[in-house]
Amino acid sequence: MNVIEVKGVTKDYPLGKTTVHALRGVDLTVEEGAFMSIIGPSGSGKTTLLNIIGCIDTPTSGSVKVHGDEITELEDKKITDLRLHKIGFIFQTFNLIPVLNVRENVEFPLLLMKKHSKGEITARAEKLITEVGLMEYIEHKPAELSGGQRQRVAIARALVSNPDIVLADEPTANLDSETSESILELMRELNEKEKTTFIFSTHDPEVLKYAKNIVKIRDGHILGQG
Amino acid sequence: MGKSLTFKIAWRNLWRHKGKSLVIGIILLFGSVLMTVGNGMISGAEHGLSENIVNMFTGDIVIVSAEQEKDNVLFDYSGKPLKVIKNYEAAKKVLETENAIQNFLPATAGAVYVLSGADMYPIYLLGVDIETYQKIFPGSIRVTEGRMLRPQEKGILITGEARKQAYDFMNIWLLPEGEELNKKKLPEDVLDGLKDLDTRRDLVFIGASTSNSTLDIRVPVTGIVDFKALNKIWGNYCLVDIESFREAHNYVTGADVNVKISAAEKELLENDELDQFFSSGSVVEKTAISQESISIQDIQAQTKKQTNQYSVDAGSYNIAFVKLKQGASQQKTLRNLNETFKKNQLNVRAIGWKDSVGSIGSMAATIKVALNIFIIFIFFVAIIVIMNTLSMAALERITEIGMMRAIGAQKGFLRKMFVYETGLLSFFFGGLGIIVGIVIIYMLKSANITTTNEFLQLVYGGDKLNPIYTAGDFLLGVVELGIVTILSVLYPLRVVAKIAPLDAISRD
Repeated sequence: MNVIEVKGVTKDYPLGKTTVHALRGVDLTVEEGAFMSIIGPSGSGKTTLLNIIGCIDTPTSGSVKVHGDEITELEDKKITDLRLHKIGFIFQTFNLIPVLNVRENVEFPLLLMKKHSKGEITARAEKLITEVGLMEYIEHKPAELSGGQRQRVAIARALVSNPDIVLADEPTANLDSETSESILELMRELNEKEKTTFIFSTHDPEVLKYAKNIVKIRDGHILGQG
Repeated sequence: MGKSLTFKIAWRNLWRHKGKSLVIGIILLFGSVLMTVGNGMISGAEHGLSENIVNMFTGDIVIVSAEQEKDNVLFDYSGKPLKVIKNYEAAKKVLETENAIQNFLPATAGAVYVLSGADMYPIYLLGVDIETYQKIFPGSIRVTEGRMLRPQEKGILITGEARKQAYDFMNIWLLPEGEELNKKKLPEDVLDGLKDLDTRRDLVFIGASTSNSTLDIRVPVTGIVDFKALNKIWGNYCLVDIESFREAHNYVTGADVNVKISAAEKELLENDELDQFFSSGSVVEKTAISQESISIQDIQAQTKKQTNQYSVDAGSYNIAFVKLKQGASQQKTLRNLNETFKKNQLNVRAIGWKDSVGSIGSMAATIKVALNIFIIFIFFVAIIVIMNTLSMAALERITEIGMMRAIGAQKGFLRKMFVYETGLLSFFFGGLGIIVGIVIIYMLKSANITTTNEFLQLVYGGDKLNPIYTAGDFLLGVVELGIVTILSVLYPLRVVAKIAPLDAISRD
């Protein structure tokens, strides 16, 4: 079953008097449980594609279906709900909430859902914090953590709500190799156990090693999917 | 859960951005202190004005003729005299039987023209029985020169304000009879023109009336007086014995009816044969020249005796001031009185004191409106500053807010977060402002600040600064703070709502 279906997607950005064509008619299907890496040089459109799949950007034209929902037709509230319940995000620059500690940052998506008990939220958050190896920093604020530690918190936050899809833009770019490996192991474990679909962009050949599917992108075109 | 999370983030954000929070907080603090003290002052002035006006001059209710068109009977400067209450005796009985009434003072109020050579200028007189006046309005006037009018004595008590007017209009300086000019008591402008100063110890005035039936009379000045407070208002009214007022206005009075005539005069009046008045005989009759010496002082004494005494009787009045018992409802009593007057067809009506003094009654309300406009202006500036600061804060946190949107926070969550932030600032700093304001009010109250300055007396509502803070003022303050909070956060909320999830990435 396809969790993502992208057909003829284009994305243009106006830049002064010119237009940047970030995506030029992209077709892509992602099956449930995929562990997919999107690779391409800088400016190839991989981040734009991730953003569109993740419903945080809209295409100029084309169709994007996430779990069968045509996201280009959804109103903002439903798209936000979709992001909250179905998609987890890992940003290149961590993007944690500065005033919340590690525990609270990880708990944040569950609290937004308003469907779990306090006990469930705490247990789920602590499990993931332990898995990313930050239990001893659980009460620390982001400013008190290293870059790598912050990214691990971001990964824990992305996974805490058991999303169907996790989108990660260069997830290990700021992690040391040991942590990168443990994180990729964790992601793969979740991918296998929970059938969580992972799509991530990367330059890291180590990350590519873990990918089951690789999509090559250049100048807004998909060159190949395998 | 959601609320506590939003609250937690809002609270911590305030601490994280201490500088901005403090700027907004200080503005809110200043605004709410100003609002609280201002409202306290105005409430005090309103209360003071009511107390002073009711206790010094009008009482709670004013009775006038039903023919009197306007309610503003005491400060209507149109020149129309008050209509005489035609059946005062019947109205008096109604007042005497109304339970809520403590006492009342029948009086005559209106303008007279003071005559001086070919010139004349208007002054306002309140004709009263001084004894009753002092009983009903105790301590409301104090004699600064001369003496108080004695019961049943003819004379006028000139207010300091009226004395100034007499000097300004006619260049005459009024002195109480028997008093010498005391240069030490003269104001500087009067001292400057001392050479040409015309001093008078009595006034000649004529009733101001549309009927052309008024008389000019001479009344001695017995004293110079000041009201306890609000002389700028009440100083326009001089107190005069009621008979002099009636004479000047040519009222038909009970005193006229009571004049005793001799048997010879009676015989003369009863005689219908007019020819007898013109019978034969010499028109000029010889008489013996009295050898008895008569001094001018004796004549003056006799004249004085004749003109200075009269009996207070059930004569004509054009106004009555009614004081109610403690706790009695003015509105209810007004309703009762007017119903009874109407039922008995007395052609009399009762009006509330506020209406009887025209715009002066609503002066405190007017000042309150003016102050609130000023406070609204201050808050408007505060709203602009807060709005700007919050919008800047939203834009500075664009990545953080964008990320929240990206991971599933609805716009409503973010709006709530900003409303909580502003609400918390309003609650703490605004609340602190109200508390500080209340402390200032109590400090001002206990400082026992008094003034003789006429303008300040209007602001204070009397001779003492007595600000009060009521539950109504508190509610007004909370509502104003609430409005400020809502208005200041509206635009930042639009800014927040426009932040897209993509902003979390674009700004990286």
